Amino acid sequence: MSSLGALRFHASVSLLGRAALRLDRLRTEHKLARMKSAGPHLGPPLMTSGWLKELISRHYLTGRYVRGVRKVAWVTSGAPVEHLKALGYYLMYPENHGAVCGIRRWGERQCLAAEDAGYSRDLCSYARTDFGTVLSGQTPVGRLPPPDLLVCCNNICQTVLYWYQVLAHHFQVPLVLIDTPFLYTEARPHMLAFVRKQIDAAVEVAERTAGRSLAPARLEEVMRLSHEAIGLWLKIMQTGRNRPAPITAFDEFIHMAPIVEMRGEESTVAYYRALLAELEERTRRGVGALQAERKRLLWDNLPIWYRLRPLSESLAARGVALVASTYTNAWGELVERIDPTRPLDSMAEVYLHPILNRGTGHKLATMARMLKEYQADGVLLHSDRSCKPYSVGQMDQQRRLAGELGAPALLLDADHNDPRAYSEEQAENRLQAFLEVLGA
Amino acid sequence: MPNEIHVPSRREAIRAQVQSGGGLAAVFPYHPPRALLRAHGLLPVEVWGPPGRSSSRGDAHLQPYTCSLVRAGLSFLLEGGLDQARVVLVPHGCDSLQGLGSVLLDFVKPAPPVLTCYLPRGDRALDRAFLADELRELDARLAAALGTRPDEAALLAAVEREERADQALGELLEGRARVGLGEEAFYRLVRSREYLPAEDFAALAGRALAAPAASARPARTPLVVSGLVPEPMALLSVLEAAGATVTGDDLACSGRRRYRPTQGPEPFARMSEGMLSGPPDSTRGASVEARLQHLRQLARAAGARGVVFLTLKFCEPELYYLPQLREGLAQDGVRALSLEVDLAEALPAPLVTRLEAFVETLR
Ligand code: SF4
Ligand code: SF4
Repeated sequence: MSSLGALRFHASVSLLGRAALRLDRLRTEHKLARMKSAGPHLGPPLMTSGWLKELISRHYLTGRYVRGVRKVAWVTSGAPVEHLKALGYYLMYPENHGAVCGIRRWGERQCLAAEDAGYSRDLCSYARTDFGTVLSGQTPVGRLPPPDLLVCCNNICQTVLYWYQVLAHHFQVPLVLIDTPFLYTEARPHMLAFVRKQIDAAVEVAERTAGRSLAPARLEEVMRLSHEAIGLWLKIMQTGRNRPAPITAFDEFIHMAPIVEMRGEESTVAYYRALLAELEERTRRGVGALQAERKRLLWDNLPIWYRLRPLSESLAARGVALVASTYTNAWGELVERIDPTRPLDSMAEVYLHPILNRGTGHKLATMARMLKEYQADGVLLHSDRSCKPYSVGQMDQQRRLAGELGAPALLLDADHNDPRAYSEEQAENRLQAFLEVLGA
Repeated sequence: MPNEIHVPSRREAIRAQVQSGGGLAAVFPYHPPRALLRAHGLLPVEVWGPPGRSSSRGDAHLQPYTCSLVRAGLSFLLEGGLDQARVVLVPHGCDSLQGLGSVLLDFVKPAPPVLTCYLPRGDRALDRAFLADELRELDARLAAALGTRPDEAALLAAVEREERADQALGELLEGRARVGLGEEAFYRLVRSREYLPAEDFAALAGRALAAPAASARPARTPLVVSGLVPEPMALLSVLEAAGATVTGDDLACSGRRRYRPTQGPEPFARMSEGMLSGPPDSTRGASVEARLQHLRQLARAAGARGVVFLTLKFCEPELYYLPQLREGLAQDGVRALSLEVDLAEALPAPLVTRLEAFVETLR
């Protein structure tokens, strides 16, 4: 680490940055406290939103100045990271950054930059957003630190494998692949053993790149923090089972950022404790996320990042609350599989089992269970042009939901980050017809 | 004479197998464990679409943004095209094949049992060990479905038969110039590896190579063809009419399945090693460098100054590296043309024009 770099980091991040962000949080909290509602048909805003903003801003601010101060790993959203955290890596999640670009309406321009460089429009829009960012050097968060290490786990899709190979070619840094056999049915012992061995190999590469050894006690501590944050996140989502729901999936899409990119940290645990307390308080007082909740729906697949707000408003205007989503649920449902005292074994177990690494029947069973638990009246299935692993199977799932399970379900065509694949008019018409059927 | 070589059709191969009392396995691309299926008495017949047919039945299960190979394959199955099969095998090669396997198992549930097999995306020792275990599991599932239990000797014999056929495929591709068949006819011969019994294919390839060329073919522009499958096959005739010949094969259905021979007493270890030994392939997660280096070598060896990339719409595995591959080849003075095809459609006229123009620029 150069002393100049360290100095710049401490001045910009640890001192000035932190102070400025704290001030901004206080201002935001002050503003939120005076707001009666988060939108014309929405309930009061979540007070912890200011804290969330501070956490996310600090994460990206750290990234701006971290080069040369800490090792940087770019990782896929489903990758095992606890060993990297324990080794002191700064973690960059291109998918999360993609979501930030999507929300801030940068998705299309980043995708176009990638397409101009020859990448097909048929590639996942997260990958295109990332390539566009890397090639243009432009991002709404200021600057991304280049990676010293790439860690790719294909437990969410195979697309990340090619995406990260392209990054490895571009940055000329080591790429660690954690290959997780797809679970058409149940995990078999040889699959678990395969993933476990790869985690050992991944630890070795991470140690070599970091130039230090993994301390078992520190790994256990990180695992404990991950476990606690995941447990809290699950409880947060489960408050949506109340009527009225104090939180919707739209809120969760935003508040999930720390569980993806900051798990294993004290600050994440503290933040989720506060969010849970706020939601429990809302529940006690009967305060809903909507001013008037009449119908409850389940969401399947990634959000449509660039339409979050309008979609949320449009549903709220009809009294429809999205009380849960399979997407946000994925970061909580595996809590039982974590045993912090067996960190590496737990990692193999957990990272083999995300919903995206399991069969289409498993997803239907998950939706059926969630429909009951959340007393939802139907399902909105986002048919995401960019995400085949999440979307393939939805046509049969829709039929089963509507048929045997008696839950009306709508397939909504879009793309999570590329607005060119979304027709507002068509979506609105289909949604309206669906809500009429629901009686909303 | 080479033009006397009769390449049995899929239908003929299927009929012969059924008449001999053997069973059929309908197998989706890309790297099926052929030896294992043969040892269980099944002839693996690969399902590449088939091309030129409507995918409408499949469209009821798969969104339009899945590739035509998978949608056409599912349609074919739903139309009863795979009814004769005793098992359907869907090896895991990409997100679309993963989705297909899962939808078949969970929702479509066709009459023949659906089996899957995960192909690891690396070729480290641990990947080979994993694949050997995966094949042992598949062996057990085949035994449960069919009641067959091939012993080690039968498994090893099957491995060796397939290895001879793989070697014959390699010799055929290497000996392209000696085989006096036109481009389309040559690829019909090469692609009979997708459905003929290994020993029949090896014999056929041997005959083609041994037969004297009908007449010296005029000098042609050498080309490398890359992609999954040369469909529509009429593309090859267009190439030929334009004065080109395929001297470098980087196709997933042929050149990328030139597996190396293996040794050893343990059949599953040999199958695994063999299946992971082929040239760099997108569906096995090869790196950009490995793919580029392989293409460069192919172009050099083939004396080719052009590479035609045949891609299927929505096929991410083949689309991701195109910018890097084109750039790397350009550094060697090798031009590239990407053509996007749809298995369900006939050859579009603009594509023909682009291909002809490309060959012209290489002269
Ligand atoms: S959106 Fe889907 S395809 Fe894209 S990286 Fe995520 S899981 Fe993979
Ligand atoms: S590799 Fe490409 S063409 Fe083949 S099944 Fe997958 S997406 Fe389709």
